[in-house]
Amino acid sequence: MTRAAIVGRAGEPRKERTGLRPGQHAFVWGSLIPIFLYLGVFALFPMIWVVVLSFFNYSPVRVGDGPLGLGGRNPFIGFGNFVAMFGTTQAAQLFRTAMMNTLLFAVLVLVVNLAITLPLAVLVESVHERLKGFFRAIYFLPTVSSAVAVAIMWGYVFHPQQGLINNLIKLVGLTPPRSWLTDPNAFFLGVPLAMVAVIIAYVWMDFGYNLVIFIAALQGIPREIRDAAHIDGATGWAEFRRITVPLLRPTLLLVCTLTMISSFQVFVIFQVMTSGGPQNQTRSLTMEIYENAFRYQAMGWASSISLVLFAMVLLVTLVQFRVLRTDWEY
Amino acid sequence: MQRKLVVLMVVVALLVAACAPGAPAAAPSGEQPATGKITLRLWSHQNTAFIQANEAIIAKFMEQNPDIEVKYEQFAYDQFIQALQTSMQAGTEADVIEMFGTWVCSYAQGGRLAEMPMNIMSYAEAEELFFEAPLNGYYCDGKLYGLPNEFNLEVGGALVNPALFEGKGVPYPPVWSDMDTLREQASRLPEFDGDTMVRAGFNFVGGDGLPFLLLQGILEQGGSYFAEDGVHFNFDTPEAVATIQLLTDMVQKDKVVDPILFNADSNDPWGSFFAGNAAASFIGSWAAGAGRVDYPDLAFDYVNTPPLFGDEYNFAADSGWGKVVSANSRNQEAAWKLVEFMTAEQANALAFNTTTGTIPALKALVENPEALLADAPWVEPTLKLLPHGHYIGDLTDRDKLFYEIIYPAVLQSLQGSMTPEQAAQTIHAQANEMVDAAP
Amino acid sequence: MSTVQLTTRAPHHRRSSRPLARILTYAILLLGLAVTLVPFIWILMTSLKPASEIVRIPPTFFPEQWTFNSYQTIFADPKVPLARFYLNSTFVAVARVAITLFTSSLAGYIFAKYTFRGKNLLFGFILIQLMIPFQVVMIPAYLILVQLRLIDSLWGLVIPSMVDAFGIFLMRQFISTFPNDLIDAARIDGASEFGVYRRVVMPNLGAPLATLGIFTFMATWNDYLWPLIVITTHEKRTLPLLLTWYTSQHSQRYDLTMAASILVLLPILVVYIFFQRWIVRGVALTGMK
Repeated sequence: MTRAAIVGRAGEPRKERTGLRPGQHAFVWGSLIPIFLYLGVFALFPMIWVVVLSFFNYSPVRVGDGPLGLGGRNPFIGFGNFVAMFGTTQAAQLFRTAMMNTLLFAVLVLVVNLAITLPLAVLVESVHERLKGFFRAIYFLPTVSSAVAVAIMWGYVFHPQQGLINNLIKLVGLTPPRSWLTDPNAFFLGVPLAMVAVIIAYVWMDFGYNLVIFIAALQGIPREIRDAAHIDGATGWAEFRRITVPLLRPTLLLVCTLTMISSFQVFVIFQVMTSGGPQNQTRSLTMEIYENAFRYQAMGWASSISLVLFAMVLLVTLVQFRVLRTDWEY
Repeated sequence: MQRKLVVLMVVVALLVAACAPGAPAAAPSGEQPATGKITLRLWSHQNTAFIQANEAIIAKFMEQNPDIEVKYEQFAYDQFIQALQTSMQAGTEADVIEMFGTWVCSYAQGGRLAEMPMNIMSYAEAEELFFEAPLNGYYCDGKLYGLPNEFNLEVGGALVNPALFEGKGVPYPPVWSDMDTLREQASRLPEFDGDTMVRAGFNFVGGDGLPFLLLQGILEQGGSYFAEDGVHFNFDTPEAVATIQLLTDMVQKDKVVDPILFNADSNDPWGSFFAGNAAASFIGSWAAGAGRVDYPDLAFDYVNTPPLFGDEYNFAADSGWGKVVSANSRNQEAAWKLVEFMTAEQANALAFNTTTGTIPALKALVENPEALLADAPWVEPTLKLLPHGHYIGDLTDRDKLFYEIIYPAVLQSLQGSMTPEQAAQTIHAQANEMVDAAP
Repeated sequence: MSTVQLTTRAPHHRRSSRPLARILTYAILLLGLAVTLVPFIWILMTSLKPASEIVRIPPTFFPEQWTFNSYQTIFADPKVPLARFYLNSTFVAVARVAITLFTSSLAGYIFAKYTFRGKNLLFGFILIQLMIPFQVVMIPAYLILVQLRLIDSLWGLVIPSMVDAFGIFLMRQFISTFPNDLIDAARIDGASEFGVYRRVVMPNLGAPLATLGIFTFMATWNDYLWPLIVITTHEKRTLPLLLTWYTSQHSQRYDLTMAASILVLLPILVVYIFFQRWIVRGVALTGMK
């Protein structure tokens, strides 16, 4: 779940009485102390630990001298892991490939997603209330499905001979690609075809969220504004561009941020549909973290990659805050 | 309604928790229930024939040892290593693990595996019984850590499909005395739908196939893939380039297989052959065992492929699958009893090899092969080649070298996105990087 | 965007004056419907075909010969005790939902209605938690579970996520709007602090609790990466793990793998049909993903 962007919408809490009354201490602290002790162990400590690990050449296979198995055969290497990211080793190249893939994926998903959901939301919003609910419910269906099942399903939909897509392409008389998921030399507008396939599957699975958010936001546009626009003669595309999009700006920003951040974290659909192939064209950062940490037990290196992922999420969130703040200024 | 929903959820949660499927804490491996019966856990990778063979032997073991219960679980190969790594860290791995011989030493050096007790077998005794190549995978720093079930020789043979040969008018069974004959015949076997190869003629583009072919090609030209220190690698050699060039020519000139549609990720040699999408597939004889179980209706044979260079075979032989015991096991004695039962007792070892179509690791079974061949005739082509197989050596991380260094680089050459020289240099650099980065 | 009010606004239908535009609108919406549903129908149909029909080129869409063979094969497979895996997934999801709802509403209530020293600091900590993706702290989380001996235990899927920062945040937002008079009145009637939470606040949190609960349920039910790391014993696998395990064993048998996918998809789709209104409204309300 991606929640970072929500913070921007936090309302100010109401000012209450100051201080706790005598009888309330036991309840408040009796509740909060266990919860925050728990968060200390399962939230704060892991965050600190992952930062610490990223400065070590750490593998749990080796027994270190110091606390948490660090030191000794798991030596402190300063910024070694981060410096290595710019190196020429296979590991560094894989990391950079994965990072570029993740960025490419996130940007393309965002563009394709918005190009579909925004107009579709306007169309859904324009039909009768009953039907609106029906369409909305169906469009949302893929988002609740198990990602593993969806990935397996789409792997079969893209099957070169038996798959639905290639047979549809043949049906309309075109030549389908030889292979969607395994051909490293096939590109569509410069994007590896396997990546295109993964993006299609992911957008199919994910577009319902943004659609529902947009529909809700559209319902919030006061009717008077639309009516005024109609009187001025603005319909269709002009209304969409001049009225709808500007009024949806805050929602649009939120949706962009949520979509970007969740695209950074996609794992299942890559792992199950392509396992990163062909030739690492669909290897994602999350796969890098998982494989380095749990297959190769190179947890120091994997931790430093985790922090890069965190930095990317943080960056997108901060950009959102910045833009929101500018919005509030006028 | 909303409130009821919440109450309902809490009630269900408590109910489910009460009859929770998993006990609150993971039951430590091999914990003894009150009945006094010992429970052993055994893990292996997923291969239908291996599973069938192991299950039969386990059933027999439990019959003879009513005080021991064996729980047998399998993992998808891709997840097996990760599961071993994470569970060993936590001490929740099985008592007995079916491990690939070439992996064993890296786990043994990490202190994860139990040393074989002398009363079960000493190395000297094991040497008498087992072939050296498979056994050496289990022998690290002068200590023995388990026993092999198979002699892994993945090379020198191919599955062939009579119907698809006859459909193309290619002589069957094929007698491939040299590579030129093989290439000429294989180039007549593929089936096309327009430009798309829907059936491969000779599918050798597998995760095991490409690395083994590369090593075989290097050895047969008199080269070596190890550097002089015996730890690092040397793949930047004319022998390596020539081998990759040969494989690339088979794809690009002879078009025996389309490496984009047929490779380890989709339509691998095993899967495509038994789905009827390859007339011949280059693969170890174990593939026939697994295929017989999964596809009982398909007629096939297993025949020899020729040396890649010259007239003399020279193979790198992996150690092969066998059984080891976790150092964390609380029932070492029972665990070793099971290991010995499954690997060293001739009748069981024979049952394992015939069901799985693997080459025996026990010398006795090969010296008198009648029993083996009666039930698994397709191993015969490989048996003839055993003298040409030499232990592959310590590859640091065998799976990484095979599947993430050699296979992708050779595949890129086959697919035309690298020259053979570049592929050899890439393998060379990455393999040595792996050695330097090893824990 | 304060959609809380907006969703209750009277609907307004804009009817386009031009019939062509309306036809086009419905054509696009129906196309979208087809794109959404056809993949599901396609694998459902595949799972009902005999293996020999599947490999035929060109393939059929609807089975020429209908068969439940693939489902029977799965039900009869002794290695796939399906009930067990449904129970595992249900246990983990329900346990997480129940615990998360409790901790979120309790802490949310305290942050909304009490003033105490360090409150802003603690709540700031909750807000920071919102920004940390799970994948970032996955490695230490695993190392902690090793220390706690919770690897290969279903509790290992529950215990690391018993407190949900987003849940606390969401609950605080809702409870902030709850009238203080009611709380004070209950206190005057002699209710304890916990009693106020239990008998006055909780019963009024139906909608947000249901939303949070359903989303936690679905996220847990569909989770793959964390169970993949934690669970190794076959009988403890959750449904997504079972599915990849099963498909890797039958990779060439699309009738079986598609039937298994259908079996994994089905329960959550049924849940969705029942709770569809809550789920869709929840997304609109919170932007939750």
